[in-house]
Amino acid sequence: MNNSLKSSVPTDREVILGILNNSADTLNKLYKGYYAMVLQFILNNNGDEDDAKDVYQEAIIILYNKVKEGNFELSSKLKTYIYSVCRRIWLKKLNLNSKKAGNITDYEDVFAVEEDVEQHEEKDLQFVKMQSALEHLGEPCKTIIQDFYIHNLSMQDICEKFGYTNTDNAKTQKYKCLQRLKKLFFQH
Amino acid sequence: MPAKVKEIIFSTLVIEMRNDLELDAIIEDYLLGKLNPQETEAFEQLRRNDATVDHKVVSHKFFLESMEAFAEQVRLREQLNHIHAEIDVESLAEELRPHPSKVVQLWRKHKSALAVAASFLVLSLVSVYSIQHNTRQKEQFVLLSNQVNKAIKTQNSLIRKINNAPATTGKPAVQSSVGGTGFAISTNGYILTNLHVINGADSLYVQNSKGESFKVKSVYTDPQNDIAILKISDKHFSSLSTIPYTIKKTISNIGENVYTLGYPKDDAVLGEGYVSSKNGFIGDTTQYQVAISVNPGNSGGPVLDNNGNLVGIISGKPDQTEGAAFAIKSKYILEAMRAIPQDSLGANKLTANKRSLLSGLKRTKQIEKIQDYVFMIKAY
Repeated sequence: MNNSLKSSVPTDREVILGILNNSADTLNKLYKGYYAMVLQFILNNNGDEDDAKDVYQEAIIILYNKVKEGNFELSSKLKTYIYSVCRRIWLKKLNLNSKKAGNITDYEDVFAVEEDVEQHEEKDLQFVKMQSALEHLGEPCKTIIQDFYIHNLSMQDICEKFGYTNTDNAKTQKYKCLQRLKKLFFQH
Repeated sequence: MPAKVKEIIFSTLVIEMRNDLELDAIIEDYLLGKLNPQETEAFEQLRRNDATVDHKVVSHKFFLESMEAFAEQVRLREQLNHIHAEIDVESLAEELRPHPSKVVQLWRKHKSALAVAASFLVLSLVSVYSIQHNTRQKEQFVLLSNQVNKAIKTQNSLIRKINNAPATTGKPAVQSSVGGTGFAISTNGYILTNLHVINGADSLYVQNSKGESFKVKSVYTDPQNDIAILKISDKHFSSLSTIPYTIKKTISNIGENVYTLGYPKDDAVLGEGYVSSKNGFIGDTTQYQVAISVNPGNSGGPVLDNNGNLVGIISGKPDQTEGAAFAIKSKYILEAMRAIPQDSLGANKLTANKRSLLSGLKRTKQIEKIQDYVFMIKAY
């Protein structure tokens, strides 16, 4: 399986272009292409499969956002970049949990990605805020907001899904929810 | 507080809330570009005039952007989770988990470095192996050549097949025999020759230059150096006078003149030449190569230098090279002689310490002197 995964790893250029073009196929290949590398790293450094998944997805998201923002310079191999980011994230987590991080077992070259990881963490704080605001919103507001803003459902769809008599009612409900959400979001 | 006032306050709140909601909707529509030009202009007018509205627009804009970024991240995460579900994490983890074996861990950790080291190792092993292999080939070649040598010794050993016509010998039932040459190493009848001359023979006879035959028996054989020592056991044999030649102790140099007397036919034949190589067949250090034309029957013949010192014993000749022969070095003669009880050899035995009686004599005189000590060996 490992081999079959590796054989389909797209070139670095393909990945960049694929992300810019929102290609699901490229993302798929990218994800499967380097997962084993990160899994090995985490498993051999006091982590488990779930840790590997979290760290790896974080790294992919960082890469994805960086490419999308248009400031990803392919100065090194993508593989090295992903590995370095994962390593940085995992080291931070280990330190956070005051787990032993003294002897990190490395499998690849590493280069400095601190800035990228830090930027991502700042952004992530916003996401965490939004997430917790949504959690505090309660139902049905949470689902309505998610459906509208995240899953891009139309008000018509939402109206039908939640059984509102007309779209205006649904809209009113949505703005009520939005108001509360904004309050929660800006409170923190 | 009267109920009326209460109601008014409540309705004001509701109205305010309603207005807020409507404002939010308008702001969002404005931000999403859903307002028509007139509405947009009217709203921008309101925004410029009302700082509160402007603030609301800014904050909603920020919120919408945060929401959009969040939404994008959530969608991406969902996508990644979907991909993740397609991976057989368990078996992959099993494969990559820290291995109990330190060796495997080490391998994974330093895979690339080890690969380089391994390829280097393989390379060196290959080169070492090929060197060894070459050497072995050479060795095999030597071994093979030893076999060839042996084959030469048997095939080209200078044994003369003697066709004994029933008429010429009185011995019945013997059709043929092989012959070679031998020489006396003591006055009391010890004769040295090649082992291959007498090997497998039922009975052995020696014949001197006068044609007299004596029965001999083998008393010592050295298969390694192809040497045999015979003892004349014939009662008609009378002791020889002092042996004229001595054994040369030093190694002969290339170019040193040597000669041999042998019995390639029924009469003694002289062969002259020189030491052409310090080693024998393919570097055989127990032999010299001598440039003497020899023929079957010369085997076991003495090789002497100009001063009558025994240089060696003719033992064979190379297959391909004409006019060359191999001679066992004289020191093996001494070795063979030491294997025989010293007192049985008698007082007048061949030694290395004396001065040769042949020294300074002309070749013809030398031949005259030694011919009584060189015998034809007949093996039946």
